[in-house]
Amino acid sequence: MSHLVEHKPLKHRFIEWLGRFYPMAKRLLYHFHGGVFPKYHKSLSNRYPLVEDFIPELLTLPLQQHLGVATEPLVSVGDRVLKYQRIADTDKGLSAPIHAPTSGTVIAIEPRILPHPSGLPGLCILLEPDGRDEAQALTLPETPTSPQSLKTLVHEAGIVGLGGAGFPTFAKIPDQRGCIDHLIINGAECEPFITCDDQLMKQRPEAIWRGAELVAQALGIPRVLCGIEDNKTEAIKTMTQAADGLPAAAQTHTDFQVRPVATVYPMGGQEQLTQELIDLEIPSDKHAIEVGVLMMNVATLAAIADAADEGKPLISRYVTVSGMGLNAPFNAHALLGTSFKALAEKADPKTPLTYPLIKGGPMMGISMHSNEVPVIKTTNCVLANPPEDVEPAMPCIRCGECMDACPIQLLPQQLYWHSRSHEYDKVKDLKVFDCIECGCCSFVCPSHIPLVQYYRHAKSEIVRIEKEEEAAELAKQRHEFRLARLEKAEKAKKARLKAKKDAVKKQAAQTTRQSGDASAAAAKAAAAAKKAAAAKSPQTDQTTDSSAPKTAREKAIEAAKARAQKAAKKADDSPTDNPAAPEDRAQVKPADKRKAAMEAAQKRAQAQKNASADSASDKAARPAATETESKRDKRQAAMAAAQKAARKRQQSSDNASENTDQSSRVDSKIPAASPKDKRQAAMAAAKKRALKAQQKAQAQKDTQAPSPDTED
Amino acid sequence: MSLPYSSPYIHNASSVRRTMLQVQIAAFPALLAHIYFFGFGITIQWALAVVAWLVVETLLLKLRHRPVKPFISDMSGLITVTGIVFCIPPESPWWVVVSAVIFALVFGKHLYGGLGYNPFNPAMLGYAFVLISFPAEVTQWTLPAGISGHHLSLWESAQIIFTGQFPPGLVHLTGATPLNELQTALVNGASAAETWAGSRFNDPNLINGWFWVNVAFLIGGIWMLYSRAIRWQYPVGFLSALALMAALFHAIDPDTYAPVSFHLFSGGVMLAAFFIITDPVSSSTTPMGRLFYAIGIGVLVYVIRNWGSFPDGIAFAVLLMNLFVPLLDQYTQPRVMGHKGR
Amino acid sequence: MIEALLVFLVLALFFGMLLGYAKIKFKVEGNPVADQIDSILPQTQCGQCGFPGCRPYAEALAEGNSEVNLCVPGGHEVMIQISEITHREPKEMDASNPPPEEPMVAVIDEDICIGCVHCIKACPVDAIVGTTKMMHTVIEKECTGCELCVPVCPVDCIDMVPLMKTPQTWHWPEPNANSLENRS
Ligand code: SF4
Ligand code: SF4
Repeated sequence: MSHLVEHKPLKHRFIEWLGRFYPMAKRLLYHFHGGVFPKYHKSLSNRYPLVEDFIPELLTLPLQQHLGVATEPLVSVGDRVLKYQRIADTDKGLSAPIHAPTSGTVIAIEPRILPHPSGLPGLCILLEPDGRDEAQALTLPETPTSPQSLKTLVHEAGIVGLGGAGFPTFAKIPDQRGCIDHLIINGAECEPFITCDDQLMKQRPEAIWRGAELVAQALGIPRVLCGIEDNKTEAIKTMTQAADGLPAAAQTHTDFQVRPVATVYPMGGQEQLTQELIDLEIPSDKHAIEVGVLMMNVATLAAIADAADEGKPLISRYVTVSGMGLNAPFNAHALLGTSFKALAEKADPKTPLTYPLIKGGPMMGISMHSNEVPVIKTTNCVLANPPEDVEPAMPCIRCGECMDACPIQLLPQQLYWHSRSHEYDKVKDLKVFDCIECGCCSFVCPSHIPLVQYYRHAKSEIVRIEKEEEAAELAKQRHEFRLARLEKAEKAKKARLKAKKDAVKKQAAQTTRQSGDASAAAAKAAAAAKKAAAAKSPQTDQTTDSSAPKTAREKAIEAAKARAQKAAKKADDSPTDNPAAPEDRAQVKPADKRKAAMEAAQKRAQAQKNASADSASDKAARPAATETESKRDKRQAAMAAAQKAARKRQQSSDNASENTDQSSRVDSKIPAASPKDKRQAAMAAAKKRALKAQQKAQAQKDTQAPSPDTED
Repeated sequence: MSLPYSSPYIHNASSVRRTMLQVQIAAFPALLAHIYFFGFGITIQWALAVVAWLVVETLLLKLRHRPVKPFISDMSGLITVTGIVFCIPPESPWWVVVSAVIFALVFGKHLYGGLGYNPFNPAMLGYAFVLISFPAEVTQWTLPAGISGHHLSLWESAQIIFTGQFPPGLVHLTGATPLNELQTALVNGASAAETWAGSRFNDPNLINGWFWVNVAFLIGGIWMLYSRAIRWQYPVGFLSALALMAALFHAIDPDTYAPVSFHLFSGGVMLAAFFIITDPVSSSTTPMGRLFYAIGIGVLVYVIRNWGSFPDGIAFAVLLMNLFVPLLDQYTQPRVMGHKGR
Repeated sequence: MIEALLVFLVLALFFGMLLGYAKIKFKVEGNPVADQIDSILPQTQCGQCGFPGCRPYAEALAEGNSEVNLCVPGGHEVMIQISEITHREPKEMDASNPPPEEPMVAVIDEDICIGCVHCIKACPVDAIVGTTKMMHTVIEKECTGCELCVPVCPVDCIDMVPLMKTPQTWHWPEPNANSLENRS
């Protein structure tokens, strides 16, 4: 495949030649817009042999080394763990398990500063290696043949995208076979200084291809393209050779190709490499897999191969240790959890490492708040560039360099302008979320404006504002819901009260008008059996009806009922009795209930009760005052009539039989007294009130009057 | 000594100062040509302008409580004064250039917030100011040595500039430019071809100073294109629009309208194409916007030259197009990758 | 003369109709001012403005019977926005009652809580769960930080604490170092 490098089309070579005089001509060599040509300094770390088997004194393993949710430790402090042992995992969502990189003891699980731009601490497992490097027996998984089995394999091995963002790889793999047309192997490695992928391609090309083969087989991918920047001639050669060495069976189904691409930053971006290799723009609202493209970093594929063929989970990775501040930069096959400082110290720093090390390359890397931070799954480079004088940021001169350099063809200058004046809706309209934060714009800006940081800030600010708006909306909804709920409760309460009063009023009305029928109808459900037994006396039915709700009262009433029945038997029929008795009962019932309610409300604030009761009775009393008189008159008349009737009945009963019971005699002597008696019994049961019947009757007359009124 | 807060941590080492100095260097061939044809007047004007710039800018920065050193050393003021110096006649009185510089810096730049915030091209604003205020002084050009028959010495130039007194016997040193003549002719209803044919400038044995100064600007401009100090859209859009207009009208009526070559190499066309309209601050930022901006200026220049009352309309054309910049920026945004349409 | 008059008459008619059409076409429903104000209020429902919630304050502002500077959690920014919407003079915020520096949430000390349900009744957004005699707790996600539950607790077991900062909730700061432009 080296012929590809040597025999490029004439136009290509002409542009390259032109590029020597006019560097920007090189922009014609590739398909995407913009791009920059920084000094690469790749030979720094490429010339030293790979450092392997370096076991530091302490491994710091953050519980979150990927996008998604953090894992939970499966070990506790003091545990001895073996190499490859799974030490943290979670099933709470998108995540990848973490395995012990070597054998040793867990000495702590505590927050440590993370390799994150915030410099905030996060929970880490601190593992003290014992130097023996004892490994757990590995179980060979089955070769994945379906997307599902590949997903399981990748997840179990804790593999995440090793190129940068650290998106758990299993989540990237589609669920069905055949929906991916292109697997793109990202070997572009466009960042200056970094050579770890280059090293990997030179040293383990078979593993990369094996990984690609596995993925292609499992997903039924017809075409695998490996994009390598043409400044890595050796890697292109080894990879091409290794591709020829792939088994013929695999080659029949899938087309494996190495494609040298122009050396330009940011060739290694997903969108850029896709556009370069298959001339496809990934729509900004879609994921790459939705348009049939799956991109994997060379290191990810090698890790998949290791997991599939040897059962090894991801415990180490290639890391470039480089920078202007180091005498002997190198590439290392470093265990996850190795601290940056330990690696940088090994590279013989020119000056003490008092300045912050950078995780990643100089274009997109992040400077660390502590040099003790560990290498995690996504760390591809530890960069020690001593700080130089930074030029102060000048005002933007609208030169448009940034726009010419932007690979996404955004308008960085306008983005900056609006970000700076906090017009975030405009920033969003200018598609800030399509910005890949590649840093090209800042790199070329003659005014040295930290453009990318403005966009990062704007992005997080927009997200924050949106979240806040969401929270405000939620709060608003919840508040409104609460108001509605309170109102509903209030209404329900009122409705209940009203219903009660209605019932009372209705009964009162019924008793005054046509007592017998109505009360009988009302009673039917409550005491059907007893009704049958006491069919002859409607009075008793009514009493049972009223007594139904309360058991204590019921008993008392039962006794009263029995007496009444006896009395009734004796006094066979007395229709005139009816008007008096139900009325009396009706008076009893609300009185009782109110008492009970008052009892129940004893714990309630006294003042409140007083206030409301007063106002209620006042209100009720005033409009009702005029009518009370007439009602009372009516009632008195009715009572008088009843008493007359009772007296008649008494006489008749006396005549009928001599051997009357004591009780029945009392009852029949004064018929009006019989309900009074009942009432007393009920009252005794319900909190033993020692009030006299007359007093009550009077009180009832007063308080009962309003209820029909309020309804009107 | 500190790392930038966030990536990128490296830079391509460009800076505002560098860009401005590139522009300044590119103006040198034209300066030499100017001296050769018109004498040393321009160096005196230039020195005057630079002094005025330093004083005015320092004062304004102090007044605005801004650090003086970085904003003087960005050299953007130097470009402004250079633009003005090339526009005004080399032997005009000293107060012309000084007031132009003051006006440009005060009203064209610092009142709007200094570097990067001026909506109008400061050099053109300053020039337009003196053009309107002192039309007599600004339209009388020193005639090329070949016509006046005298090459002014530095001393003579200084005398004229500071005292306004011409050395005895040298009264006819200044006069109308070819463009002025054409304008006058057009206004009087004479045909361009005839005027040009009868003009004292149209002598094959004579070296037309304006032509060669323009060529020198072209050379400097090409170098700036190469070093990416300016964008190709400006000269290409401007010159092609002007050439197209000239060609069109010359084809329609060769009698009335001057040929393309005359338009392209007279007045301040090349100066404008490479040094004036390329001022990024007051022009559009999008590639398409820049092209439209430049085309608009080209068309306006032709229109003003032929139908306006000023001999050369570059200043007004530029200022007019400056007004359209926000609109152009808004409607010429490029398609963002991964999005359909704009 | 007469032509000119006619022309202007026609023009006047035309623009009058245009305006009328625009009024029908772009009619705004509801009480836009109150809605607008409500949408910029922080919806903390804290009642520090003296109204029972954000919406009533917005309505009062829309009717012009309230001051523009009463929203404490919204701070200066919201005040400015309100005065812009209502076209009224901005008024300085009450300096003695500054908005919290960072978002706060209420946290109930679960060992002390006696389950009195007072705080549940006070919470404007039902962000507290618990029942009588049982320990209560605050749903952090829903707490608006209004502090209304703090004073009603009889055993003082509610504290306002700043939201925990994690790498996930961290925001890139705005760059300002090295800038020569201090915007005034
Ligand atoms: S950082 Fe964003 S705006 Fe800047 S060049 Fe890269 S993609 Fe474009
Ligand atoms: S490169 Fe810098 S100075 Fe030039 S337009 Fe972009 S932000 Fe402005």
